[in-house]
Amino acid sequence: MPTLTINGRSMSVDAANDTPLLWAIREQLQMTGTKFGCGAGLCGACTVHVNGEAVRSCQTMVGDVAGKKITTIEGLSAKGDHPLQKAWIAEQVPQCGYCQSGQIMQAASLLAKNSNPTKEEVVAHMDGNLCRCMTYSRIQKAIMRAATEMRTASAAGNERRPT
Amino acid sequence: MNQHVKNVTPEPTDLSRRSFLVGTAATGLVLGYAGVPGVGEALAAAPANFEPSVWYSISPDGLVTVTCGKADMGQHIASTMAQIVCEELGAKWSDMRVNLASNDPKFNDPVLGAQITGGSWSTMMNFEAMSRAGAAGRIALAEAAAAAMGLPPYFKDQLIVRDSMVSHPKSKKQMSFADIVKSGKATKTFTPDELKAIKLKTPDQYTMIGVSVPQLDIPSKTNGTAKYGIDVMLPGMVYGAIVTPPVRFGATVKSVDDAAAKSVPGFIKAVILDDKTQTTSGWVVAVANTYANAKKAAAALKIAYDGGPNAKLSSQSLLDEAKRLQGLDDSGQFFVKDGDPAAALGTAAKVLEAEYTTSINIHAPMEPMNATAEFKGDILHIYSGNQFATRSGAIAAGAAGIDPKFVVMHQMWLGGGFGRRLDADMMVPAVQAAKAVGKPVKVIYTRENDMTMDFSRPLTYQKVKAGVDGDGKLVALSHDVVSAWPTARWGIPDFLTPSVDKKGPLDSFTVNGSDFFYTVPNHHVRAIKNEMAHNATPSGQLRSVAPGWTFWAVESMIDEIAAATGKDPAQFRISLLDGAGKNDGGAQRLRNTLLAAMGLAGYGTKKLPKGEGMGVACVSSQERATASWTACVAHVAVAPSGEVTVKKLTVATDVGTQVHPDNIRAQVEGAVLWGLSLALYEKATLKDGGIEQTNFDSYRPLRMSQMPEVAVAVIANGEKATGVGEPAVTVVAPAIGNAIFNASGARVRALPITAEAVKGAMKA
Repeated sequence: MPTLTINGRSMSVDAANDTPLLWAIREQLQMTGTKFGCGAGLCGACTVHVNGEAVRSCQTMVGDVAGKKITTIEGLSAKGDHPLQKAWIAEQVPQCGYCQSGQIMQAASLLAKNSNPTKEEVVAHMDGNLCRCMTYSRIQKAIMRAATEMRTASAAGNERRPT
Repeated sequence: MNQHVKNVTPEPTDLSRRSFLVGTAATGLVLGYAGVPGVGEALAAAPANFEPSVWYSISPDGLVTVTCGKADMGQHIASTMAQIVCEELGAKWSDMRVNLASNDPKFNDPVLGAQITGGSWSTMMNFEAMSRAGAAGRIALAEAAAAAMGLPPYFKDQLIVRDSMVSHPKSKKQMSFADIVKSGKATKTFTPDELKAIKLKTPDQYTMIGVSVPQLDIPSKTNGTAKYGIDVMLPGMVYGAIVTPPVRFGATVKSVDDAAAKSVPGFIKAVILDDKTQTTSGWVVAVANTYANAKKAAAALKIAYDGGPNAKLSSQSLLDEAKRLQGLDDSGQFFVKDGDPAAALGTAAKVLEAEYTTSINIHAPMEPMNATAEFKGDILHIYSGNQFATRSGAIAAGAAGIDPKFVVMHQMWLGGGFGRRLDADMMVPAVQAAKAVGKPVKVIYTRENDMTMDFSRPLTYQKVKAGVDGDGKLVALSHDVVSAWPTARWGIPDFLTPSVDKKGPLDSFTVNGSDFFYTVPNHHVRAIKNEMAHNATPSGQLRSVAPGWTFWAVESMIDEIAAATGKDPAQFRISLLDGAGKNDGGAQRLRNTLLAAMGLAGYGTKKLPKGEGMGVACVSSQERATASWTACVAHVAVAPSGEVTVKKLTVATDVGTQVHPDNIRAQVEGAVLWGLSLALYEKATLKDGGIEQTNFDSYRPLRMSQMPEVAVAVIANGEKATGVGEPAVTVVAPAIGNAIFNASGARVRALPITAEAVKGAMKA
C-alpha cells in the first residue's frame, strides 16, 4: 500500500499506483474538500500542492507522489485562517463554493512565491481555474487583499511558512 | 433527520388558513404552521423524538436554526431566509444558523406548494411567510419574557426585542432568548387572522433587511468542510460509474460483455438500467469498491447499442425542422394575441423580417451530477443536491418501483445548479445500482457523462416580423418561437399555461419575455413545440430559461427597427415604454432602469473611437408577473477580422427591495458574465444524435482572462423584493449584438456570436 505524506501526516492508502491522487484523497482518506470537476486537468477544482507546487490531483497518480509533501485545503492552515481564506470571507467570494478549494490552493501557490503580484500575473496564474458561478472579480480582489496582508505580516517580521 | 414515512405528493398548502404554533419541546422552541404534516406532531411528540421544524427553532443556548426548503446553489438563499426571519424575530445575526430541509411536505414553498427552486422566485415568494414567522416568534418570546420577569401584560408594548434579548428599559429588566426558551414558558397559538393581523416592520424600521451581513455558508466554503452531494460517505458504500450511449436519447442496450471488467480489482457488477420513468435511455452502471475502479470497469465493458430513432439527427436537422414547423399556418399555440398583426403588416409603410437562433447550451455546473442511494428497511434514502425534491423523489421512487412516500431526500449544498439540478436523471442509476448490489451506492458522472447527457438549453429558432407606419411607429409584431419544451417534459400540468387560442396548454418557459412591456397595438406570439428536438435533445431549464432567447430576438429586432427608421435605439425603446394599458407600472420602471444604465455608462455622451460602439437592451425577465427590471449598455470594439472585444458591460436592475445588497451584486455580476459567456463562448452541437462537446476543452465557459469590466447599479425603490439570480443573464447578448451593429454595421442574429458571423455581416 502506498504511503502518502499529506498535511504533515503519513498515511497509507489502499489504492493502486495508477489511481489518481484525487480519489485517494477523497475516498481513502475521506478528505472531501478537494473536488472532482473534469477529470482532465481543464478546470482546477482538484488543485492541491505537491512540494509547494499547485498540481491537478486528477492528473497526478498516487505512485508519483510517494515521499513528496502533499497539502490539501484541509491542511492549508491550522484553523482555516490562511490570509487567502480570511480574504475569501472578507470579500464574500464563494457562491456555490464548489471550485473554491481549488481556487484558494492555486492562489496560495502564487502568493508563496510572489506576495506582490500584478493583476496580469494573477489572471495568468488563475486562468486554468474555472468558476461556473463566475466569481472571478471577487477572486481577484481576495488575492490582492491576501497579498497585502502577507506583505504587511512579512514587513513586521512575522513571515508565514510556505505551505 | 426524518424517521417516518412521508407523503411527498405535492399538495396545496394554503398557509393563510392555518394556525401558527409556537411551542416548547425538549430541545428548544419550535415555530411553525399547524396542520402542515409534521408540525403538530413535533409539538406533541415526546421530547426525545423532537426534530427541527418549519420554519425555525431556538435551542436553549439561544441559537436560532432556520430550515430552508430551498436548494442553495450559491445564491445564499438559506442565509437570506435566516436574514428575513432574523429581522422580525429580533435575533442577533451571530446566533443564526441554517439547516437544509428534507423532502417532507412541511418544508414546501408556501406559495408553490412543492419543493422546487427556480425562476428567481424564492425571496419574493417566501418573504411574507418568513417575516410573519419571525414576528410571531418575537411576540411569543416577548410575552413569555414579560411573564417570567413579573411584568404585568399591559407593559408588553414597552418591551424592546433586539440582539436575541427582550428588555424593559423602565424597570431595567431583561431576558435573553436562551433563558426564555429554558423557562419553557413560550407557548402561543396564532389563529390565521391573528397571524395576518401582525403588523410587520416598515422598511424604515429595518435593521437587518438591506444589510450585507456575512453569509452563513461562506466560511465552510473556504476550508473544504461544506458538504455537497458528491461528498456523502455512508458505511459500506460502493461506487457507480455510468456508461452512456453515443446518442443523447432513445438508444437501447443490446448486450453487455463484462468479461474484461471482471478482471478489474473491486469490480462488483454491471447494471443495465431499466428506466420506466424514461429519464434515461441505454445507460449501464459499473459498480465497484472505489470510484477509480468503477471507472476502470466502465471502460472495460463492451456494450452493443441500438441507436434508436434519433441516431442520425444533427443540430442542422433540428433547425430545419424548426423552420418547417414555423412555416405552417396551424403550428403551435398563441401565447400573446393582441390585435391583428397580419392586417397591420399588410398596410405598414415598412416591414422588417428576421430569423434569430440560439445554439444548444450546457449547464456544466462544477460539481458533476451525482447521487447516493441507500435502502434501509422500507425506506429509500437519497443524498443529492437537488432543486426539485418533490419531483426527484418521485423519479427515485419510480426507478425503485416503490411508492414516493417511502423516499427520503437528503438535501446537500449544490455545487452549482443553474437549473440542471431540477432534473432527476442521477437518481435512476444510483437507485437501480443500490437495489442490484444490496449496498449503498454513490454514482458520480464523469464530466463527459455530464456534458453529453445534459438537459440542455434547447436549440431555438425564432422568426419575427415587424411593421412600422408612415410616422415610424411600431404598429405590428408577429413573433414565432420554435423549440423543445423543457417544462412539458416534467409531465406536471400545473407548470403549463393555457394558450390564448384555447388550443391546449403551452410551455410558457419557452416564450416568457416575448410578452414584453412595449406598447405594440398588434402583437402575436406563437409557441411552437419542436417535437424532433424535444425527443432527441430532452431539454431543461438553463439559468433564465426562455428570456435567454426571447429577448435575444425581441431586443435585436427593436434595434433593427430603430436603425431602419433612423432613431436612436435607446430613445426608441423609451418611446415604446409609454405605460399604456396593461403595461402601466412595469413599462415606467423598465424605462427608468434603462435611463439609469445609460447614465452609468455615459451612453451618448462621448464620441467613441472608430471600430467601437455601444448597444442597449432592456428586459422584464423572468416572467411578466415576476419581473426584475434590467437594462444593459454594452461597449464593444470590433476588429476588421470580425473579432469582438467586450470592453465594458453596464447593468442596472430594479429589484424593489434589497434583502442583502452585496449578495444582489454578486448574483448580478455572475448573471452578467453568464450572459456574456452564452453570447460569445458557449456552444454545443448535435451530431449523429449525440452532443459533440465532452469537456471544458470543447465546451468553453468564460474564464477569468475573458472578463470585461462590469458595472452594476441596483435600484431599490421600496417595491416588493424581486429575483436577481437570472434576469441579468438575458439582457447581455442583445446588448452586445446591438453594440456590434453600432460599432461596425454588422447585424448578427445567431448565438453564440462568432467572428466569422460578424465579418460576414459586415460585407453584406
